[in-house]
Amino acid sequence: MQQTKGSFEDKFRQLDEVLPDPSTTRNASGAPGHEYWQQKVDYKITATLDETKRRLTAKATIRYTNNSPDALPWLWLQLDQNIFKRDSMAELTDAFGGPGRRGPKVSLGSASEPTKLSMDELRRQQAMADNEYGYDISAVTLMDGAALPHTIVGTLMRVDLPAPLAPGETTEFAIEWAFNIVEEDAINARSGYEHFPDDPRKGGNDIFLLAQWFPRMVVYSDYEGWHNKEFLGRGEFTLEFGDYEVDLTVPSDHIIAATGTIQNPDAVLTAAQRQRLETAKDAAAPMFIVTPQEAAAAEAGNPKGTKTWKFAATNVRDFAWASSRKFMWDAQGVKQPGAENETVLAMSFWPKEGGDLWKKYSTAAVVHTLKVYSRFSFDYPYPTAQSVNGPVGGMEYPMITFNGPRTTLNKDGTRTYSLAEKMFLVGVVIHEIGHIYFPMTVNSDERQWTWMDEGLNSFLDSVAGFEWDPNMPWTRSVPRDLVSYMVSNQQEPIMTQSDSVTNLGSNAYGKPSAAYHLLRDTIIGRERFDFALKEYARRWKFKRPTPADFFRTMEEASGTDLDWFWRGWFYSTDHVDISLDSIYRLKVDTKDPDIDLPRRRAEKEAEPDLVGIGLNKAQGLPIWVLENPGVRDFYDTNDQFTVTPKDRKGYTSFLEGLDPWERQVFDRAVKEDANYYVLNFSNKGGLVMPVILGLTFKDGSTQKMNIPAEIWRRNARDVAKLLVFPKGKELVQVVVDPDWETGDADLENNHYPRRIIPSRIEAFKDEASMDRVSRDLMGEAAGAEPDKRK
Amino acid sequence: MIARRAVLAGAAALAAVLAAPALAHQQKRAISTVAINPRSGAIEIMHQVPVHDAEHALRVQGAQSPDIIGSAESREAFARYVAQRFVLAVDGVVAVPAYVGSEITGGSLWVYQELPAARAGTPIRINSQILTDVWALQENRVNIGSGAGVTTLIFTAGDAAQDMLLAS
Repeated sequence: MQQTKGSFEDKFRQLDEVLPDPSTTRNASGAPGHEYWQQKVDYKITATLDETKRRLTAKATIRYTNNSPDALPWLWLQLDQNIFKRDSMAELTDAFGGPGRRGPKVSLGSASEPTKLSMDELRRQQAMADNEYGYDISAVTLMDGAALPHTIVGTLMRVDLPAPLAPGETTEFAIEWAFNIVEEDAINARSGYEHFPDDPRKGGNDIFLLAQWFPRMVVYSDYEGWHNKEFLGRGEFTLEFGDYEVDLTVPSDHIIAATGTIQNPDAVLTAAQRQRLETAKDAAAPMFIVTPQEAAAAEAGNPKGTKTWKFAATNVRDFAWASSRKFMWDAQGVKQPGAENETVLAMSFWPKEGGDLWKKYSTAAVVHTLKVYSRFSFDYPYPTAQSVNGPVGGMEYPMITFNGPRTTLNKDGTRTYSLAEKMFLVGVVIHEIGHIYFPMTVNSDERQWTWMDEGLNSFLDSVAGFEWDPNMPWTRSVPRDLVSYMVSNQQEPIMTQSDSVTNLGSNAYGKPSAAYHLLRDTIIGRERFDFALKEYARRWKFKRPTPADFFRTMEEASGTDLDWFWRGWFYSTDHVDISLDSIYRLKVDTKDPDIDLPRRRAEKEAEPDLVGIGLNKAQGLPIWVLENPGVRDFYDTNDQFTVTPKDRKGYTSFLEGLDPWERQVFDRAVKEDANYYVLNFSNKGGLVMPVILGLTFKDGSTQKMNIPAEIWRRNARDVAKLLVFPKGKELVQVVVDPDWETGDADLENNHYPRRIIPSRIEAFKDEASMDRVSRDLMGEAAGAEPDKRK
Repeated sequence: MIARRAVLAGAAALAAVLAAPALAHQQKRAISTVAINPRSGAIEIMHQVPVHDAEHALRVQGAQSPDIIGSAESREAFARYVAQRFVLAVDGVVAVPAYVGSEITGGSLWVYQELPAARAGTPIRINSQILTDVWALQENRVNIGSGAGVTTLIFTAGDAAQDMLLAS
């Protein structure tokens, strides 16, 4: 569809031509269709961690249920560890020094500067050279042991079935594999080990964070078939739900945190630890399961063989775990009366390097997250919610998250942390635990659409942050914070595949978060927005939504056509800049010459004299008519506004010519004598937005007015709006977006009359001049009066 | 083929944390704005750096316990670092912007600098290497101008300076 004549731009064109057609699996209102289906994949895994070799060996039985209407001749699996093979697509396409590179610092040289490799890059190169990373797949077999043909394509593997798997059928097959665990700090990954060489134990200790550690089934969906897109490192994961039984064999002194619940606590925990875990379910504050003293002893000791921890998890899309003898462990029960899991164990695992920062805030932040996020979605759907400290800055998996902030070790042996580090810990725990709702439960496709989970989660983590402490300087991602990104000519629409986005933080986290704040607090309103978001979460809980399902649900449940909003914020790179260009004031003409003409005379008299006449007067030049009084006539004593009988007759004729309804309207308008104003706006940024007006009247009163964005539907560039106020309500000032809700890029053109808006630096200088540092606070406190003569 | 000498960079970089770039941790981006203030005519330079990135950068540079929010000293130390890593030449002459100050708003540290008056259209040359010596992923954006007429330059580690015309 293209406008080929004129310049009309339809910012309100419905999205139907862009969105996929509704179907029996996804209906037109954004809900799962009556024939919605998704595959189910259950895993039974046994794995052994060789701490010394830092190698994991495992085997799995995968039970795949084909709920699709299609026969499947083969199955695809994700081999994410293969991203670390030297010939992976990610490695081969890693541009040296280019933007968006996932790795340590390098820099391309120039005529005056040599090319540089950092120590970290050399470390990475050496680790890649010294170690064989990636999966060793040793067997893929049917349950009777017969080998299954399989083909590895980078981070994907196709397994050919003996016969196509019919709709409704289930198949089971087994895989055996092993891989060398990457050193997180050296390779840069979403999982791996971290070594602590300075620990008291000879040889030091490790923390192992294991994720993307088993061959995971590729998604087969109703809208894309097999989602076989290579893992390049940035676009995260697309996964199927299923049940897991996982046996993990590790050194006997390790503590494991994992997706799911422990099935054999008697075999892996002490009696005291089991008792503490039971008590923690009803604790009002986090309590230790593994105490600092127990962790310190383990950290300095050696294992006596191995232990096997057995975990089970129901209806999860992934499984991750962490293992170390360094872990302290605390827990607190969160009550959800009437929920499927009435008591959720909020838990944290951290080494001494986490210190009091973790003791005070990690599990507390988990508890806070569950309370806030559940209000916006559904009861937390799993029995545990865990925060684990390790080498990964922040990553999310079902029931378990990895979070990086730590304390600083001081020379005197104490551990402290800054306010910023505290904010980062609370912030990242809220964010990553929040991901257990989105996308671990509302299972959107991260590889394709990062914004679907990250945008919603950034929005909700800022809501949770404000409810934790509104005075903390959170990264809040509200519209005013995104202005410098949104005015840039170097950006992509939000609806861009994740691996192709150049500034993922602003694009997929900040901008959609700002959009949701705007929808909630300004466009739709809290009640309807929260209702619609909750409905989206409820509809797609344990299902796989697409962008269209989100857009349609938010519109349908809130009762608001938001196609213009999605089109502008998600499909374009426009920004917000609405200018109030002029205001015209109108008065109703009474047509009564005895009223109108004196008023016009008064208006005329209010105009300034001609400058030349004033100068003549000052110069004392004579006025001819004054010096020749004998020739004065009617026009010297009556001006152009003198009322004549003809004027009065005309007025009478006018009144008599009106139809009764016209006379009624006219008489009322004259009687009310209202103030009419025409406001002229132009849209300089391109995004159509509600026009929010702050009005100030001559009597000192103020009013806020919200004109819906639809005012721009026929002309997205310039519009005029008539405002009517009763007699006595005279406008003296109008401000567009007075509370900076929309992220308007140019505030100066928001004011009428124009007002000088100080630049950020000017405002800073003004505030700095008021800085208390420059004041004599000691004198003020003592009540001293400054000597103004000095 | 052009042979290029590879050398070790002097500073050891902080181990990059490359997990999901949750906004609660390192974002590895800085946005700078260079614009003429139409009232004063001065060139105003503003740098917006996530607080977390700033604090970790200070730690990389040897600060024992940096505290960007609580310590004016930490903040000023980072501001001095920013000034060193942002190079601006006006009309062919390397400029030395005056340091105005810094503040924290919305999870970001703002660093302010300014230069004496120059006319719109004056040739400028810019290179923003803020934090590129710390993280390979660092991507800096420099917006030239303000309001609706913004042109953005992007810099990553080792990029050469780019030429533009000054705008208000």
